[in-house]
Amino acid sequence: MSTKPGAVVDALAASQAVRSGATSAIEITQTALAHIAARNPALNAFTAVTAERALAEADAIDRQRKRGETLGPLAGAPFAVKNLFDIKGLVTLAGSKIDAERPPAAADAFILRKLNDAGAILVGALNMDEYAYGFTTENTHYGAAHNPHDLAHVAGGSSGGSGAAVAGGLVPIALASDTNGSVRVPASFCGTFGLKPTYGRLSRAGTRPFVASLDHLGPLTRTVGDLAASYDAMQGADPNDPACAGRPVEPAFPILEHGASGLRIAVLGGHFAGSGIAAEAVATAAKALAATRKVEIPEAARGRAAAFVISASEGADLHFADLKSRAQDFDPMTRDRFLAGALIPAGWVLRAQRFRRWYREQVLALFREVDILLAPATPCPAPRIGQETIEIDGVAVPMRPFIGVYTQPLSFIGLPIVAAPLRQPGGLPIGVQIIAAPWREADALRVARALERGGVTNAEPALG
Amino acid sequence: MADPIDLEAYVDAAAELVGMPLDPAHRPGVVLNLGRIAQMAALVMEFPLPDDTEPAPVYQP
Repeated sequence: MSTKPGAVVDALAASQAVRSGATSAIEITQTALAHIAARNPALNAFTAVTAERALAEADAIDRQRKRGETLGPLAGAPFAVKNLFDIKGLVTLAGSKIDAERPPAAADAFILRKLNDAGAILVGALNMDEYAYGFTTENTHYGAAHNPHDLAHVAGGSSGGSGAAVAGGLVPIALASDTNGSVRVPASFCGTFGLKPTYGRLSRAGTRPFVASLDHLGPLTRTVGDLAASYDAMQGADPNDPACAGRPVEPAFPILEHGASGLRIAVLGGHFAGSGIAAEAVATAAKALAATRKVEIPEAARGRAAAFVISASEGADLHFADLKSRAQDFDPMTRDRFLAGALIPAGWVLRAQRFRRWYREQVLALFREVDILLAPATPCPAPRIGQETIEIDGVAVPMRPFIGVYTQPLSFIGLPIVAAPLRQPGGLPIGVQIIAAPWREADALRVARALERGGVTNAEPALG
Repeated sequence: MADPIDLEAYVDAAAELVGMPLDPAHRPGVVLNLGRIAQMAALVMEFPLPDDTEPAPVYQP
């Protein structure tokens, strides 16, 4: 269940140990809380630890077991959520100072409740970029999240606390949001698995929005089994999220071992060709999957651009009252982007929304010929905290906006994607995106599992 | 819109139009970021879309 005392790094294994009586939910929770207390000061992944609630939830699980009741699939497994998820009784910060003035949340977010229903134990809230507008979690108000593989490097963002918490062995499951890459970027930089499901699959009710047109939620884990089990537990219709498509629950876990056979897998070229370590990671995954075909998504750079414009505009509109009256209270890392977003001509945004429709048609046509596309998750491994530029093909580009170059054109049209971690010996991790057609999360998870089983991925935690 | 001088004038006028006074300390960062957004928007705006391409909203009456 753990590779080192003090860390719970596999949710399903922990849950199995609780079911069999090898350990109790209370013991696992106490172990996780002790590990968080020991490791979090260095990582700054958690902004709140819900110890009292966690112990009460664990006690309830242990009582259920004593009564002989059937336990949920994640019974006793600790998890934590990005601090834009509502946690009943806590103020939802969304990485901001401004929201700290809000009243405590009256109820838990929908998918948090779903994980609780599956028996998982909430242990706290996680650090993030202010209002999810960033790729590095260099949060001025609450401090930067540190990469467990090298503390001088960023954990990625905007869900950096989620990446650091899973990679550091603080929790086996962390929930996050992904508007332009905020699940996949921290998964890549921290060397964990991450799932961004299809847009509209999981309810976003009870989470602080960023860009309603593009916001998704999803889990980060160390194993594909935990990724699929937590995803399955969170599925379900919810009228409280108008974008939730209300699809029937389509469990992925039962077919996880079907492998990649029968799936037509291609590597994305063109905009997604990448270079250096990012391209090598994709080549390694492609080789393991015997994927030789190369295809291109037409106009992907424009897709990224359109997502960029829509994000700036919708994000600014959401926070417009505060931008007008108290811009000085925003994080300097996000403030000027939010202010600029409030000044965008309407025509740019409307055209970007229409372009989204056109671009979607092109990509859906591609999925008539292939089932899975492979691409880098990030252009490079985690940069250093405070770094301003990264070098791409010998050219220095501004680091922070460029990190999303491969994630943004895909979340733009809501495709389901697993980020799978690869690692060069002695190097920092880097992720590969396993991209499936809409509503085909299970295909991407099957391929991720095939890579994991083949020893291609490496999600070993950095336990410090 | 790529000319930084044009952008400064636009930022000042647009900020006044929407009633969002800018702190002079924030203005250079806003101009820089609007410049980045403008570059992205140019990529979208120059692409010829068919007239019958409608957006894909989730609104359902």
